[in-house]
Amino acid sequence: MYSFARSSALTLAVGYISLGLAALALFATPLWYAWRVTVQEGRTEILQADAQLLTDVFRRGGASGLTSYIDTRIGMRIPNERFLLLADAALAPLAGNLRAWPSTMPPHSGSYTLPVQIGGHMTSADFVYVALPGGYNLLVGRDLARYTPLEHRFWGALAGAVGILSVLGTIGGILIRRALMRRIHGIRQTVSAIIKGDLSRRLAIDRSGDELNTLSQTINGMLEQIEQLIQGVRNVSNAIAHDLRTPLAELRARLEELSLTKPSPEQTFSELEAAVADVDRVIRLFNALLRLAEIDSGMRRSGFVALDMAEVAAAAVEFYQPAAELKNCTLTMASNGAAPIRGDPVLLAQALGNLIDNALKYTPEGGSIAVEVRRGPAHSVGVSVADTGPGIPDAEKAKAIERFYRGDASRGTPGVGLGLSLVAAVARLHGSSLQFEDNKPGLRAVIVLQQDSPARSPAADAAEPPSIHDATVLRPTG
Amino acid sequence: MKVLLVEDNERVTQFVVKGLRESGHTADHAANGRDGMFLAASEPYDVIIMDRMLPGDIDGLAIIEALRKSGKRTPILILSALSDVDERIRGLRSGGDDYLTKPFAFGELLARLDALTRRAQGEGAQTKLEVGDLRVDLLTRKVTRGDRNIVLQPREFKLLEYLMRHADQVVTRTMLLENVWDYHFDPQTNVVDVHISKLRQKIDADFERPLLRTVRNAGYTMTTHD
Repeated sequence: MYSFARSSALTLAVGYISLGLAALALFATPLWYAWRVTVQEGRTEILQADAQLLTDVFRRGGASGLTSYIDTRIGMRIPNERFLLLADAALAPLAGNLRAWPSTMPPHSGSYTLPVQIGGHMTSADFVYVALPGGYNLLVGRDLARYTPLEHRFWGALAGAVGILSVLGTIGGILIRRALMRRIHGIRQTVSAIIKGDLSRRLAIDRSGDELNTLSQTINGMLEQIEQLIQGVRNVSNAIAHDLRTPLAELRARLEELSLTKPSPEQTFSELEAAVADVDRVIRLFNALLRLAEIDSGMRRSGFVALDMAEVAAAAVEFYQPAAELKNCTLTMASNGAAPIRGDPVLLAQALGNLIDNALKYTPEGGSIAVEVRRGPAHSVGVSVADTGPGIPDAEKAKAIERFYRGDASRGTPGVGLGLSLVAAVARLHGSSLQFEDNKPGLRAVIVLQQDSPARSPAADAAEPPSIHDATVLRPTG
Repeated sequence: MKVLLVEDNERVTQFVVKGLRESGHTADHAANGRDGMFLAASEPYDVIIMDRMLPGDIDGLAIIEALRKSGKRTPILILSALSDVDERIRGLRSGGDDYLTKPFAFGELLARLDALTRRAQGEGAQTKLEVGDLRVDLLTRKVTRGDRNIVLQPREFKLLEYLMRHADQVVTRTMLLENVWDYHFDPQTNVVDVHISKLRQKIDADFERPLLRTVRNAGYTMTTHD
């Protein structure tokens, strides 16, 4: 298990909490400042109003009037009474509730915030100092300790907010992490199983459609593809092993018999010839495999040229015509005019040849094979080879394209079972796919290619990279 | 004919040199690029068999390019394990005249060497081909055997023309596929044989002496010799 300190959920939680605190600070600072200023101003205003009142009393009743006014007011014992002090020119107190003129007071009228000693303890107070006519000095002040509880409450509230934010953030982080870990744990378990070799496992998907789900779906798609590929490779290696074993076993038997029986030179010679034929079968198999790999790697796309699919098909039909006649089958070709496409002429000819060859192999005597090249809707070119043979059951249609696969009905028919795989690979290379349809009766193999766009005129082809055709130009024909 | 084999694999060398000598040809051998280059440039050969991957700093294609640049026109057959179509194209581009992929049958190699040397001697602007009493007029596209007219389809005509141009030589199925149909792949079936037997029906069936004969494990030949 991962420690919480290293988990990404923690990082996220800490980040969010910090962000929350920063937002809180940004929010509280101006508030605090505004509150401070307003309260301060209000306080000073009140003190000034009071000082004004006392000054008016002084104007009307002189020093004695003010002294008795102050004494009367203090005698009333108003709760939270302000500091009041009337002093003479020598700053000796005449009346008021302060014992002495604060020593730190500047010698000018004005508003000040000063530390002052009251009742034996230091506190800080706001003062308004008014110098009265005749050398008298008036001081009105307010103990700031009065506001301390308010400040405390403010800071307390702020601290509470910070605390709640941190706690909720941490809990949220833990919850998110737990949910995340549960999903990740599921993924880890599945992946471990896959690493151990169970390729059929898939990541769990719920209905939420969140990011993890989307990611899981993508990964599942990848696993699907990998499983298919591995399955394909496994099938291919099994099939190769199987298809190689037969000629190699025959070859071995032949050679061993030769070495044991030491037959006549004529017989030896014919046995050796048969051995060479066995080896040729193996070589053909490997050549076919190499060609498939070459096509699948997609390298051959460099050999694409503009060509007429109808022409390629007509040539292939002509090539296979005698073979069809030999089997009393009719092999026909139909098209609705030229079918311009871009492709590899050698591969397309081979693919079509394989389809015709396949159809010939499975069509009984007297059957018919129809090759069609048709320009269809949306610039498509449909190429199809239809026969009247036994067809392929729906369940086996997909398998038929896999390397080496042969329908059960055909076991024993000569030929390397690679033909349809090659057709499928060529179709893939040309951005299409090989489909099987029912010909009722028989099989209909269909490849739908994309018509060459008019923009790619022959002029554009002049600048094309070297093509397969050039190779045939280099070697004189006939 | 006098053949130079540039090949580093001993077994292949032994096999080819022995086969060539048994077929009545003389064969020189070079086991690396440097010797091959020297021999090819200094001796007059009828044909050169060139392996592509050679030990040392000069590979087969480099030798061919150098020879062609220096004006040597000796026909060259490239022998290589590199079988991709792109590799073949590269080989032929560099100045090779034919390309044979390993592993190969000796009959195939010999047939191709024959074809190359014949071609080099110049088949010229022949307009009439003749093998025994079989005559082909390339201009009027008329085919006769003895005093009888034979009607051939265009592809049959092309097949016959190729066989007649290489009369008395062995022509392999691959050579026919490449030169008559322009098919550079193995169709995995015996369709070529079917075409040959159809042609045979037309030119040989009603005559005492067959001209188009099957050569076991190799291919076909047009000949009057037994």
